[in-house]
Amino acid sequence: MRISDLKISISGIRGIVGESLTPQLLIKFSEAFASYIGRGEIAVASDTRPSAEMVRCAVLAGLLSCGAEPLDLGILPIPSLQIYVQEKKLHGAVSITASHNPVEWNALKLIKSGGLFLSPYEAEELLDYYYQGRFRRVPEPERIEAEENPFVIHAQKIRRAGRLDAITKRRPMVVVDPCAGAASPYVRGFLEGLGAEVICIHCETGKGFPRNPEPVAANLGKLCHAVRQAGADIGFAQDADADRLAVVDEKGRPIGEEYTLALAVDYFLAEREKSPVVVNLSTSRVIDDIARCRGVPLFRTRVGEINVTRKMREVDAFIGGEGNGGIIWAEIHTCRDSFSGMALILEYLASSGKTVSELRSRLPDYIMLKDKVKASFRDRKRILERLSRRFPKGESDRQDGLRIVYPEFWFHVRPSNTEPVMRMQVEAGQEDLAREIFGQIKAEINSSRSDR
Amino acid sequence: MTDRLRISVSGVRGTVPEALDVDVASRFASAFASYLESGPIAVCRDTRISSEMLGMAVMASLMAAGLDGINLGQIPVPFLQFYLGRNGCTGGIAVSAGHNPLPWNALVLLSEAGYYLESTEGPEVFNIYEAGSFKKASWKELGKVQPRSFPLEQYLDALAGLINRPRLQEAGFKLVADPCNGVVSSFLAPYCEHFNLNLVAINDEPTKPFPHPPEPSPDNASQTQAVVKASTADLGILTNSDGSRLSLVDERGTALSEELTFPLCLLALEGRVSRAVSTVATTSLVDWAAQRAGIRLLRTRVGQSAVTHTMAAEEAEVGGEGSGSLAYLPFSPGYDGMLALTLLLDWMAARERPLSELADVFPPLVRRKLRIAVPPAQTYKVMDRLEETYAREHLDSTDGIRVERPGAWFIIRPSTTEFILRIMVEGEDEDAVDSIGDEIQERIQG
Repeated sequence: MRISDLKISISGIRGIVGESLTPQLLIKFSEAFASYIGRGEIAVASDTRPSAEMVRCAVLAGLLSCGAEPLDLGILPIPSLQIYVQEKKLHGAVSITASHNPVEWNALKLIKSGGLFLSPYEAEELLDYYYQGRFRRVPEPERIEAEENPFVIHAQKIRRAGRLDAITKRRPMVVVDPCAGAASPYVRGFLEGLGAEVICIHCETGKGFPRNPEPVAANLGKLCHAVRQAGADIGFAQDADADRLAVVDEKGRPIGEEYTLALAVDYFLAEREKSPVVVNLSTSRVIDDIARCRGVPLFRTRVGEINVTRKMREVDAFIGGEGNGGIIWAEIHTCRDSFSGMALILEYLASSGKTVSELRSRLPDYIMLKDKVKASFRDRKRILERLSRRFPKGESDRQDGLRIVYPEFWFHVRPSNTEPVMRMQVEAGQEDLAREIFGQIKAEINSSRSDR
Repeated sequence: MTDRLRISVSGVRGTVPEALDVDVASRFASAFASYLESGPIAVCRDTRISSEMLGMAVMASLMAAGLDGINLGQIPVPFLQFYLGRNGCTGGIAVSAGHNPLPWNALVLLSEAGYYLESTEGPEVFNIYEAGSFKKASWKELGKVQPRSFPLEQYLDALAGLINRPRLQEAGFKLVADPCNGVVSSFLAPYCEHFNLNLVAINDEPTKPFPHPPEPSPDNASQTQAVVKASTADLGILTNSDGSRLSLVDERGTALSEELTFPLCLLALEGRVSRAVSTVATTSLVDWAAQRAGIRLLRTRVGQSAVTHTMAAEEAEVGGEGSGSLAYLPFSPGYDGMLALTLLLDWMAARERPLSELADVFPPLVRRKLRIAVPPAQTYKVMDRLEETYAREHLDSTDGIRVERPGAWFIIRPSTTEFILRIMVEGEDEDAVDSIGDEIQERIQG
């Protein structure tokens, strides 16, 4: 089976520049979006990938073609774009970013009014427009407008909601690593505005990414070193589009991306407000422990920001997110936002007077193992059935693949939307157990494959 | 009929969005970039509302092919051609449909020296376009498109170098200009300042739609005529939307046929050039003017590509057509309305005579230009039939069907840009010209 690097799915369009992601495809996809969303103002923003300019020109051409009024916001983090769309009451937005994917990739993510991603149904409708070529091309296109400093709205919103006095008083020293991504032009000013002392590494844009943009421990060596060298209180790492956040403690050790959300939720429920918590099915069990301890309900949704967002709105949750470092602070916007995350965690440091490692040590320890295993699209159902038979006594959830929970461990196996792989996660209190279960699941998947 | 794309030597042309949409524009730019293989490519656009959009599609495609671009923004196409010859680019793309009315737009392809592509080069680009396999650059090798402002001073100084600038400045002419809200609008004031002209500009708002068809000719000149009279100006001009064509209104408010622009330029260039190129569809006044100015005239096929490439091959310094076009190779290989204007103003200053008097030297000829719509599939059938009809008289096969009769001549040829047959009849006697026109019309429609 030959698998294309081009992925046209309900998440948007994604591919490798110079291979599948051609200007012609980008133009047509943007035409479909403008036709679907209707005439009106549509913002366009990108991260800092070298291909952003090419993609931006193609997107602007496509939007103009179908009657949109494009508003070019330049380089801007995706949460800032979502907030901008909401606050300025725009029709929608196109975000040019392949977030944590390596630099040769790029993608379009589509945002509707209110700054929300398209729901799966809306995305399906949009794909119909694209595949059927239902483009409402206009004879008289609009003109492109531009905005100089679109980040201001996002920063102001957090400053108004944040407890800046406490942070200013403690004046934590922060090392931040935006991966030369979309946050780079803004993050230093933002953190200084909260009252922190800031050292910025990887802040210079225009030369690609200095590290793999996924903010997982393996990619944070430079940041850990910088934290130790500066004797800083905390290190923050963002991904290229600045929706995800990772934390490094004052000793220069990554606390693990699952604990980013845990710190924020723990603080929020204890010091700010009690509310239901919403996370996705792949998120660490540490959030269950925190919710139980604070006496609030926890809801789990399918993976994908829009699913968490919708559930948060439904149950009126003020805090939530994804275990991969995506914190959602609903008062700012129901989107994953590394800036909201940084503000909450700095508040926590300030109000508790403790160090990051101390705050982390208050939380239970879990080991999470993640991987993806090749499995063709036609084998998926059988794999899930066999896994379900193999682990009959656990509590199972089939909203998104299969999640089975035992008292000592849980796992989640979920087919990818875009690739012929199954994503799997196992979490347990002991590493031995996690590894054992991990091995069993992997073996089960491999023995269920028709092409083995 | 307007929903078909016209692909010709000069590029790709059609109505937006029925024929020329962003997808076509991007594929065409990808094909051109693939053909050139390396950059930088200079890009410009006119003031049409669809030009920004098509320009974006062009730039995305150049970058994706790994070619750098220089975006010169809204400037006349002749400015781009001037720029190309002097700045080490590998080619140019102009997003502009010149004289075509508003729903139209075009991508015009230019060589590294600023020429329209040759009749052998264009088809190569179209083959790549049809095959659809375009050059792709990896993310590391993507092209960059930088905005750059056109070196206007250099252009104006180069124009001044062709004439006696102090004498023209001394003359202090008053000029009425109607750039049809096209790209020339923004450059009239600095131009006039450079040559100490007193400018009265009308229809010079590039953000507004065209106030009349952007074809410089007496048909569209009534406003200019009125303003010339009211303001007692020395001269009125009209340009098309990309600044390549020029027609004149004399100081009495009389609109001169656009056919006169080129022969007048030949008279103005007397003693400075030895060879000129025009087309088989251009007024016979060019023969008269060339003879009078001691210039040897060659005739070739219609269109900027044929004329300028013939100029280069035959070492002719000057070339032009009856559409109000003039190119002067020592300056640039592009038809340039401002160049024609500068040469004519210099001539007026040298001769110290009003334009009406200078233009009054030509033998009185009557012209009739007809445009007859023919369905695209019928064009060549109709031409075949006409060729049979006129077989005995049709002796010049350079372009279309050209017939010389005593006291009159005519040409019938398919337009390269629109789905029409263009007919021009010229002769000494008005009735004779009219009856030839009627005769042709009947034969086409019959």
